[in-house]
Amino acid sequence: MKAVIANNLSKNFSQDKKALDGVSFTLEEGAVFGFLGPNGAGKTTTVKLLNGMLMPTAGTCRVFDIDPALEPEQVHKLSGVITEHAQMYDNLTGFQNLVFYGSIFGISVDESRKRALTFLDSLDLVDAKDQKLSAYSTGMRQRLSLARAMIHKPKILFLDEPTSGLDPESAQSVNNLIKDLARDNGTTVFLCTHQLRYAQEICTNYGLIDEGVLLAVGDIGELRAMVFSGMTITIKADYYPEGMSIHRNKDGYCEINVQSEDEIPPIIRRIINGGGNVYHVSARQLSLEEIYFTLIERRKEKRRAKK
Amino acid sequence: MINPMQIALIKKDLRNITSNKRLFSVMLIVPLALAVVLPSMFILITIFVPKSVSDFQSDFQSLLDLLPQSAQTGDPGHMVMNLVLNNIMPVIFLMIPILTASVMASSSFVGEKEKRTLETLLYCPLSLKQIFNAKILASFIMSMMVSFISFITMILVVETAMQLTMGSMILPDIGWLIMMLLVSPAVSLIAIILIVRGSAKAQSMEESQQRGVFLILPVILLAVGQFTGIMLVNSWLLLGLGIICAVIALLAMKSSFRKFNYETLFK
Repeated sequence: MKAVIANNLSKNFSQDKKALDGVSFTLEEGAVFGFLGPNGAGKTTTVKLLNGMLMPTAGTCRVFDIDPALEPEQVHKLSGVITEHAQMYDNLTGFQNLVFYGSIFGISVDESRKRALTFLDSLDLVDAKDQKLSAYSTGMRQRLSLARAMIHKPKILFLDEPTSGLDPESAQSVNNLIKDLARDNGTTVFLCTHQLRYAQEICTNYGLIDEGVLLAVGDIGELRAMVFSGMTITIKADYYPEGMSIHRNKDGYCEINVQSEDEIPPIIRRIINGGGNVYHVSARQLSLEEIYFTLIERRKEKRRAKK
Repeated sequence: MINPMQIALIKKDLRNITSNKRLFSVMLIVPLALAVVLPSMFILITIFVPKSVSDFQSDFQSLLDLLPQSAQTGDPGHMVMNLVLNNIMPVIFLMIPILTASVMASSSFVGEKEKRTLETLLYCPLSLKQIFNAKILASFIMSMMVSFISFITMILVVETAMQLTMGSMILPDIGWLIMMLLVSPAVSLIAIILIVRGSAKAQSMEESQQRGVFLILPVILLAVGQFTGIMLVNSWLLLGLGIICAVIALLAMKSSFRKFNYETLFK
């Protein structure tokens, strides 16, 4: 069964304001899907549509074969959601909050307590469990939100910017947790973010969205293929043979684009045979960040051309 | 009808308001002032102000004249207190469920929206209607609890004071039964539903509480009617009022759900 199917999903908030414009994608169970795009691109709108909080203007979507527009409660049973606006109660302690959310998901109080303690332990919040939430830092709140969203052991987690506003250390721990979760429990994760480096560490698939339009979907290889699938080698040498197409950088480093690894040894051999010394060689493929910016830039150019 | 998940929600709402000292004190101080301080003042007035029976009677005569003939016997002080307890207090007492229900409902609906906890709640596997029903019930329970506590406190205070000063007791009449079991619940429900209907638009709790004021106005008019002697509340009037309020409450409750879906709540 597919975890998520979106078919031509569109949402207009008013006549001229298209939040989402014909978005289609499918998500396999167990995938960690990075939904990437700038602020206002339509990420949160998509999460709300998939949870039945908004009704699509056109198109349909299904979450584990349930239509959220028709049976939102059934989807909520299977999904855990973290959004910026979904906060918990400041006047309750972290532990009380988790137990409360457990019980409104139909879990018995005893079981909720047990699960709450396990989560507090794994999220490093045990010391703060009896503190009121008002005393929690942003990072602690965010980790508690993660526990809250998982208390009913959902099959799919919707995380809307779970690491925004966190210091690098907290962000790292939240990300590790998401990664472990997907690996150990097979939980499908729908992760909206604009922190691309973190996304690349934990996601298996990506969707790139800008102004309500899905620009690309696929794994990193497929996305790369849309931009440049080869690699860039960085070399530092004191001699470069004539006719070698190089982009000279500062500090004597040069960049050469190649299609595959096999092209690297001949290049080095040519330098050495020509009497040069090689101080540094490294090869890398386009990062998610580079792909993202290229694709967003391409779209902007297209729009400019239209005008 | 009510499932365990809704009960958890109701418990949370009740705990939420009792742990908020500022809101909870508003909810308790006003009812106590109305139910304890006010009748006590009446008792003090009847004891200390009149110098002689004739002076006293001339002041209160116009009110006492309104009483049915059968009630116009006995000690004037006793008669006045009877009038206060059974005719004037019920109208003033009506403000208690209105106030409590307004404060509680605005905290429960708009307060959650303000603190951004409502959205989290909406992601739980309860339907919107179940969530609203649970929240309405929580406000209703709170309002009824405060009303009954106020009523019992009032009766205790009045009877004790009467015993100490006049050596006699006055009994609350049948009107109070109608008041506590019909009018007060119906009026609470109306107040709650007024607030719930406004909750989608209201951005702050204070804004929302002010809607409850619309209900206080007719009560004030009724109270003025009491003191000026235009109209005296009796059991029949209370019964009629109660039935009308109950019908309004039920109709309003049915129609209010139609307006709500997730989308309108998020705006």
